[in-house]
Amino acid sequence: MAVITISRQCGSLGDELANYLASKLGCGLVTRDFAFEHFFDGSSDDDKRQLEESPKYFLKTMVDSEITYKDKLMEELTDMADESSNLIVVGLGGCVAFSARQDSINVKVGASLSTRKSRVARQYNVDDEQAESMLMTADRKHKRFVSSLYDRDLNEDSLYDLVFNTDRLSVEECADAVLAMLDRKVQRLKIAAQTLEETSMNHQTEVAVFKNETEEEFAKILDMYNIDWMYEPKTFPIEWDEAGNITMAFSPDFFLPKFNLYLELTTMEQKYVTKKNKKARKVMELYPGTNVRIVYKKDFLELAQRFKQFGG
Amino acid sequence: MNSVLDGKIDIKKVVFTREEIEARVKELGEQITRDYQGKELVIVGVVKGSLYFLSDLTRYIDLPVKVDLIGFGNIPDTTSKTGVVKITKDIDIDIKDKYVLIVEDVIRTGLTTAYIKSELEKKGPKEIALSTMLLNPNRLLMTIPVKYAGFEIDDSWLIGYGLDRHEIGRNLPYIAELNKKD
Repeated sequence: MAVITISRQCGSLGDELANYLASKLGCGLVTRDFAFEHFFDGSSDDDKRQLEESPKYFLKTMVDSEITYKDKLMEELTDMADESSNLIVVGLGGCVAFSARQDSINVKVGASLSTRKSRVARQYNVDDEQAESMLMTADRKHKRFVSSLYDRDLNEDSLYDLVFNTDRLSVEECADAVLAMLDRKVQRLKIAAQTLEETSMNHQTEVAVFKNETEEEFAKILDMYNIDWMYEPKTFPIEWDEAGNITMAFSPDFFLPKFNLYLELTTMEQKYVTKKNKKARKVMELYPGTNVRIVYKKDFLELAQRFKQFGG
Repeated sequence: MNSVLDGKIDIKKVVFTREEIEARVKELGEQITRDYQGKELVIVGVVKGSLYFLSDLTRYIDLPVKVDLIGFGNIPDTTSKTGVVKITKDIDIDIKDKYVLIVEDVIRTGLTTAYIKSELEKKGPKEIALSTMLLNPNRLLMTIPVKYAGFEIDDSWLIGYGLDRHEIGRNLPYIAELNKKD
């Protein structure tokens, strides 16, 4: 589950990207029009007109309610995000509204003034001057909306995970990048959730720092087979002294979430790996449902051989 | 059978004879027939190693099974200098909501089988089971449930009945141990 927020400049193809992503993912799409139509049902036409015209009106308390229009907007967006598998939010300051959520991807779509001008001129059949005026107005409106509701500057780089310039990128190319990021992010969040257990120490790092070349090569082999992995995601305490202090622990090298499997690599001869075997057995006894396998030297060499045959 | 190997490959001993293989494949076929009564079964052989096992096994299965083949290989990829393993020959039969039995020649670490299984899972089958002519249980790394295994093997290098050495020896009707890997 993830929320993709798209902040876009007028004429940047941001709306086209949002529509394309929504159809690719088969998910909900919240636009300004959608929000006005569905989120403020009980409001009068005059209230809706005021909301359309002035972002500051969002800070007013709703009629017969204790919450503001902004609160209502946030509430509706959060509910939709919680209830959907994926959700795309275009504009509405989504990049700020969802900035605290781990599962959001905040995308900004822009283009050079000349590109945007020519797109808008073509789309609305207006001349360059009129197109530029339309762009300036739209940019100002977007900026004012976010600063009025959230007291943030829409141009702050830190609001975005991905920034596209569509001068030289197609909608499909931008979408591919968003989808690839979404895939990785959802996977990472899933793995992090799966490996959180009270009794063990979770120490997932953002980037794997391998202890030796064998581990690095093994990671490449897993990558080659498109098998998701985490490097040393956790430490299992396996022995304690009388005072309850941990005296022995085991941190398997890899975790393969799809197979719910921990792998410990050893390049020592098999007869010397008794200690590792013992530790692995103990983890499986103490933490039921945890699978640990030892990757012996010959297994690794055979996989590495196959890997080299493939050109690795 | 020296002509099959053209004198280039040194065989140490025959591990499973033609008769032993035939008897075991018959048993597996009968077992599968019992297990999949009334179920829509698609059998997917992994090329090329499983071809002989697949053709013998399916002829001992007394059910209206559908048979397809899947192949994989290493494809260059812009994001990886080693390339990635990808399906090079996909199945043609729709397996959505069907029972699927993957047929392998040999499963050692299970890495490739796990890969193929996960690719087929994307097509929404009702269930995927695994069968293999040869299984090395001591080397199995991946947690993949092998439902039907012909024979258990150790770490020796084998040839015949689909298993090759540099593409030679697949058509030996028995399974033999090689003197050395190369």
